Amino acid sequence: MAEPTQIRRLDQRPLKEAISTRGRSIIPGLTKDDVIKYFFGANAWISIVVLGLIMLSLYSQSIGFDPAEGFFGQNYRNLLVYRQAGLEFVDIIKKETSDLGQLSDYLSAVRLHELKRLLAEGKSAGKSEDQSLAEANTTLAAYDDYIGKLSSLGEGLDGIASNLSDTATATKEAIKEVQDKKAEKRLYLRSGKKDLADKVTYQEVDLTAAVQPFKAALPSLHDANAKFSADLANFLNQPPPALDAEMKSRLADFESRLRILIASIPAYQNQLETWNPNQPLPWYMGIVDFFFHTNWLTASAWQDYYGVVPLLVGSTLISIVALAIAVPLGVGAGIYINQIATPWEQNIVKPAIEFISAIPSVVLGFFGVAVLGEFLIQLSRWGLLPHFEQRLNILTAGILLAFMAVPTIFTLTEDAINNVPRAFKEASYALGANRLQTIWRIILPASLSGVISAVLLGFGRVIGETMVVLLCAGNSISIPPMSKGLMILFQPVHTMTGIIAQELGEAENGSIEWRALFMVGLLLFIISLIINFLAQRMVHRFKISIG
Amino acid sequence: MKKLLALSIAAALSICSVQADTKLVIKGSDTLGAKLVPQLAEAYKSSHPGISFSIAAEGSTTGIAAIIDGTADIGMASRRAFPAEVSAALANGRSLKPTIVAYDGIAVIVNAANSVSKLSKKQIEGIFTGEIKDWSEVGGKPGAISIYTRNTSSGTYSDFKGMAMSKKDYAGTAQKMAGNEEIASEVGKNANGVGYVGMAYLKASGVKAVAVDGVTPSISTVQNHSYPISRSTFYYTNGEPSGEAKAFLDYTIGSAGQKIVEEVGFAPLK
Repeated sequence: MAEPTQIRRLDQRPLKEAISTRGRSIIPGLTKDDVIKYFFGANAWISIVVLGLIMLSLYSQSIGFDPAEGFFGQNYRNLLVYRQAGLEFVDIIKKETSDLGQLSDYLSAVRLHELKRLLAEGKSAGKSEDQSLAEANTTLAAYDDYIGKLSSLGEGLDGIASNLSDTATATKEAIKEVQDKKAEKRLYLRSGKKDLADKVTYQEVDLTAAVQPFKAALPSLHDANAKFSADLANFLNQPPPALDAEMKSRLADFESRLRILIASIPAYQNQLETWNPNQPLPWYMGIVDFFFHTNWLTASAWQDYYGVVPLLVGSTLISIVALAIAVPLGVGAGIYINQIATPWEQNIVKPAIEFISAIPSVVLGFFGVAVLGEFLIQLSRWGLLPHFEQRLNILTAGILLAFMAVPTIFTLTEDAINNVPRAFKEASYALGANRLQTIWRIILPASLSGVISAVLLGFGRVIGETMVVLLCAGNSISIPPMSKGLMILFQPVHTMTGIIAQELGEAENGSIEWRALFMVGLLLFIISLIINFLAQRMVHRFKISIG
Repeated sequence: MKKLLALSIAAALSICSVQADTKLVIKGSDTLGAKLVPQLAEAYKSSHPGISFSIAAEGSTTGIAAIIDGTADIGMASRRAFPAEVSAALANGRSLKPTIVAYDGIAVIVNAANSVSKLSKKQIEGIFTGEIKDWSEVGGKPGAISIYTRNTSSGTYSDFKGMAMSKKDYAGTAQKMAGNEEIASEVGKNANGVGYVGMAYLKASGVKAVAVDGVTPSISTVQNHSYPISRSTFYYTNGEPSGEAKAFLDYTIGSAGQKIVEEVGFAPLK
């Protein structure tokens, strides 16, 4: 009887054996076998090394190894200067006048309501739109004066604030300059150029002297506040020129709002008087500010803010919309193609869906701006969607991203269903279940873990996409008001990926803005990492035991 | 992006300088240095072989400082020198001589169907800072205003703040667009849109420029300074320009140069 090794075909030999038949060493100490093994091994590991390097560079560019030089340290100093230079002080006054602004906004909202009513009245009376607009504006003229009078009451405070903001900005610039000089000096010292470092001279800003103007302004602020309070109280006595009962009822709230504003003035005055530029800022504020501040504002002449909340909210809202559309489509298509479709359909649909992922995202972006956005506006004009005017919004971006996520979800879902043993299906039929019952009760639960990981990977695809959101999401930093309910879909937002693409080109290497953008990148990276990790864990969960 | 472009052009130009005899160093404003001056330099070189350019566009302040320190032949600026800069130059034994080379005007545009056709400067400030939220507050039909601005990497983003908004910050609801063309097309499609573009983009369909303080933006109103959101742009030189600097300056304000000025979207001198 022949030995088993002799009847093995040549191509069935183990790789190791196949290689070592001519095994002569080309590198001393290593067989050719070893060389090839290490070559393939290195190829596999290099991606992990690169991944590690990316993480390392993201970390060093954002948080940094030197806590004072990294983003959180710089942001902490940014906030500290805000306090020390007196910007905080001026913002207290600005907050007070913006409360007044909100009150006039309230009056304006009532005016808008009234205007719409007058226009509708004019329309039913058969007048032209321009004519009824002109007439309505004349009717509302007295009311406009009333709003104008209210707004002008803040002028005294505004004047003081405007003078003080010049002082504060000048101090801030001076502090910035000293900080820049210090950084320059450190850089020279680090690279051993002591002579150059000695040439960099600077004089520390005298913070006590710098805040003197604010302390000196307190008496005049006290007077201005007293006058503000008296003027507002006076204003209470002037009844608003209400046009009709409905408007009157809408304005009923106004008096109490005005009283609240008057009551808040002493608190503001107190805040100003107790304001202390030397009050220590807790060390963690640089971090807290990044994660919880609701404004991202750069290149401001006043104060820059780096809060990730609006970006995170924007990215999340778009992803939710995209997944809400892509999950039913992708999973549904996967089930249909795998379980129900004829081979003919399979041959058409499967390559077509997989082709979608080959479309460059910038092309989809252009499609979104030129066709989809326009189409959605048309739908709204036909009354099929609620009224909106901004064609770059969450919905436009979400639909396009859904389109991009469908191939990922479809392919992975189909794979997951393929992995369900045929015996499950046959057993189900044998028990008398029909096809739909089998799919719903047997196939889907058995492949659920795979489907969930497909959805998670689709989510990862969506949240990391840049070009489409840059072109179609509208890039507006304010967080859309949740009070609008589903109308929120038609609001523009900014995203984490979009802001990096938009602002990195202008940010100076190593500046706070540069590091803030890398911080956003790092956050995005961590989110993707978690999603992928969860997706991999999911595959092994919820598995009906197979086999 | 602009800066990068200008720097790369500067780098490309300086490579050419290997065989060139004279080299003109130009520094300053990125309003001028991003597009206009590199294009002028390209055109000038084709008619004057043997000259090379080094253009760095890092802001008007750097341009004026370069003349004070004598590190550039021409300083580009989109503002006049401050008194402190003038005296600093005198202290260094130099004098700052400005020459106006082009006018720059920014037009505020609204949808062509908007009933508002004029705004005061104060109203424009209110609209872009978000204090005015509805068109009815400035005499138009009711409709929530959608603001479209350039993004932060554009020089116009901060120029407009300086010229029309008392340096205040834009409203958070402002949508940041990559370029003039995008702003014009969004405003053209959005009945409640408002934005700003360079003078060269007013021909876009579906938009109209609003008169600011009663003056319609046009090349002539920008030239005679009656349009409020406009400014002059300068070449600064050390005393009266001479040699190649003078030749290039004369080329810029001459008819060939002014044609390029108009093509790039600035208002020519005449």
